[in-house]
Amino acid sequence: MKSINDRSQDIGPFVSQTDDAIIICRCEEITKGEIRQAIHDGMFTVNEIRRYLRAGMGLCQGQTCGKLVKNLIARELNVIPDQLDPATSRSPMRPVEMKVLGNEEVSHV
Amino acid sequence: MKRYDLIVVGAGPSGLSAAIEAARCGMSVAVFDENAKPGGQLFKQIHKFFGSKEHQAKIRGFKIGETLLAEADEAGVEVFLNATVAGIYLDKEVLVQIGAAMEHFKADTIIIATGAAENMITFDGWTLPGVIGAGAAQTMMNLYGIKPGQRVLMLGSGNVGLVVSFQLMQAGCEVVALVDAAPKVGGYGVHAAKIARCGVPFYLSHTITKAEGSDCVSGVEISQVDEDFIPIPGTQKHFDVDTICLAVGLSPMSQLLKMAGCNMVDDPRRGGQVPQVDENGETSIPGLFAAGDVSGIEEASSAMIKGRMSGLAAAAYLGFLNEQDKDNRLADLEVALDSLHQGMFAPGSKGKTFAKTDEGIAVSQSLLKKGYLDDADIERFIHRPDQTIKNSGIHPVIECTQNIPCNPCQDACTRGCIKVGKTITALPRIDAANSCTGCGMCIASCSGQAIFLVDEDYAPGYASITLPYEFLPRPQKGELGTALSRSGQPLGHAEIIDVRNAKAFDQTTLVTIKVPVEQAMTARFYQPKTNAAGQSGKKEIRQ
Ligand SMILES: Cc1cc2nc3c(=O)[nH]c(=O)nc-3n(C[C@H](O)[C@H](O)[C@H](O)COP(=O)(O)OP(=O)(O)OC[C@H]3O[C@@H](n4cnc5c(N)ncnc54)[C@H](O)[C@@H]3O)c2cc1C
Ligand code: SF4
Ligand code: SF4
Repeated sequence: MKSINDRSQDIGPFVSQTDDAIIICRCEEITKGEIRQAIHDGMFTVNEIRRYLRAGMGLCQGQTCGKLVKNLIARELNVIPDQLDPATSRSPMRPVEMKVLGNEEVSHV
Repeated sequence: MKRYDLIVVGAGPSGLSAAIEAARCGMSVAVFDENAKPGGQLFKQIHKFFGSKEHQAKIRGFKIGETLLAEADEAGVEVFLNATVAGIYLDKEVLVQIGAAMEHFKADTIIIATGAAENMITFDGWTLPGVIGAGAAQTMMNLYGIKPGQRVLMLGSGNVGLVVSFQLMQAGCEVVALVDAAPKVGGYGVHAAKIARCGVPFYLSHTITKAEGSDCVSGVEISQVDEDFIPIPGTQKHFDVDTICLAVGLSPMSQLLKMAGCNMVDDPRRGGQVPQVDENGETSIPGLFAAGDVSGIEEASSAMIKGRMSGLAAAAYLGFLNEQDKDNRLADLEVALDSLHQGMFAPGSKGKTFAKTDEGIAVSQSLLKKGYLDDADIERFIHRPDQTIKNSGIHPVIECTQNIPCNPCQDACTRGCIKVGKTITALPRIDAANSCTGCGMCIASCSGQAIFLVDEDYAPGYASITLPYEFLPRPQKGELGTALSRSGQPLGHAEIIDVRNAKAFDQTTLVTIKVPVEQAMTARFYQPKTNAAGQSGKKEIRQ
């Protein structure tokens, strides 16, 4: 089995597709073409795509596009999606306003 | 920081069930849910549930939710609403947004029951306003009383797509088509038949290729797909719609479990990223459990049982329940769960095709492709060797032809006309040795709206057919309308000769129509002159 983290592997050149303009991440408005290009730039994991493009970092925190991004990476790398790790889950798992996040109840009983 | 014996995240059927069991064992329990109303998905389920009595079959989902809430209240469970769990940390501490503040809570055990989120698929125009999830449509209609649109196309023929299509029509929308890329209907045949007889056409092996419109959806283009699900050029069909509903599966919302550090697996059969759990839902972290859809997409009936199991296991983990009692009670729940996990739609049967039913009858291909039984199917199922059926006098006709875990029809008939037997997935059988009084309880109890009462001797040359009707306005006695076939085709005039509403029918109206006797086995729905069901019959299709 091919290692996904083998960055020296040749995944071939980026070939544009007719539906590259379709938006995949609605919150951050990232297109399929941008994500596919990022994979060819060497972003082989969902976390890397997140940091590189902000896909999955918007309001819904990847609830909608998480699976879609994973499937795109899997297709470009020619692996099955299950082999890819999903994005790291971190608190807060839902968007929280800064003023609320700062308003922490700190009573220690 | 407030402490509890158990913290449950999510007040859906699984979370509430877990909380009830644990609290009854004497634990102090807090449940957090981000919504203003508890109940999770249950509060949108206005249809009658499948299963058997112990699974609360024939009861409408939201009523089951109300019962759970009352039980939780009685058991002393503290339910926090508008309370979003934002994070989970070491030593079972959670961070919760309640109103405008972040609060910390700690417990000795935690049950994550956060449910699932809807999947999306992409196509040209999928981000246009008017493309919505089927669950979202259900939330709009059943929680907020808002009609999602006028003309809707539904993508996805699983139970969610089928149930929501029916509910859209109940809300007064027109469903112009039901589309699925798979070659056969994914959900229960009885759910499909309910919408097919309203005239909704099914397009299997088709997918959406384009949502049209500049500011919002004004139309949709679908295309046939090949075996690899690739659209075939030249097969496009167009529909004028203002809403496109997607019912393409759910994904577990398992982020909190991942955050907590549980061992996770990617299991497509369970819906995606799910925790590794034992038979009671305990994760790789002792004292941390997962129950319901978050641990594998199933349905509310099994979510409730799994919730109860986790609640009991958590109680035993902290010593609130002794091992012996725990084992006995879990064994009972196992049996209940097992009976749901049987038949053609069992989790273990996913992806399998069945040529025959357990009774050895060839399954209906028409049901799988078009959503309704054809004449040959009716002949094969109605006149099968294990049942006797009359063709004179009032008698039930049951059009339930798949092995699904369901048996309220058997309990409904006190005369013994309907038999399912011990195995709840067996097809219901009619025993003509017992005479039917025409009470109608079987019709109203059937979650699949698959039972009809037929009387070939109603009047010379005329038969009467009694059918379940769940649309408003309710037809009136004496009204003249159109009899529709199983595929929703008009058969001719039908006169309403009786309309029955009883408390025991739980909002299902029993409508009796008079039709020519030749239509006794073909007329299966009634369309009023001014169309209440929202289907205007003829669909506009521009090629
Ligand atoms: C359209 C549709 C029709 C269905 N029809 C049927 C049917 O006929 N019969 C049947 O048995 N099943 C049916 N189901 C399935 C059934 O509704 C689900 O399987 C069941 O509700 C799962 O229960 P649950 O408790 O696991 O999750 P849910 O009911 O989804 O409840 C989870 C709760 O947790 C809350 N939550 C999530 N994350 C957080 C957080 N971080 N903080 C606080 N709260 C959180 C959610 O808001 C939600 O209220 C249907 C589902 C859908 C979508
Ligand atoms: S109408 Fe009444 S008596 Fe007849 S089969 Fe149904 S439940 Fe039994
Ligand atoms: S006929 Fe019986 S088994 Fe079939 S859906 Fe109706 S109630 Fe369930």
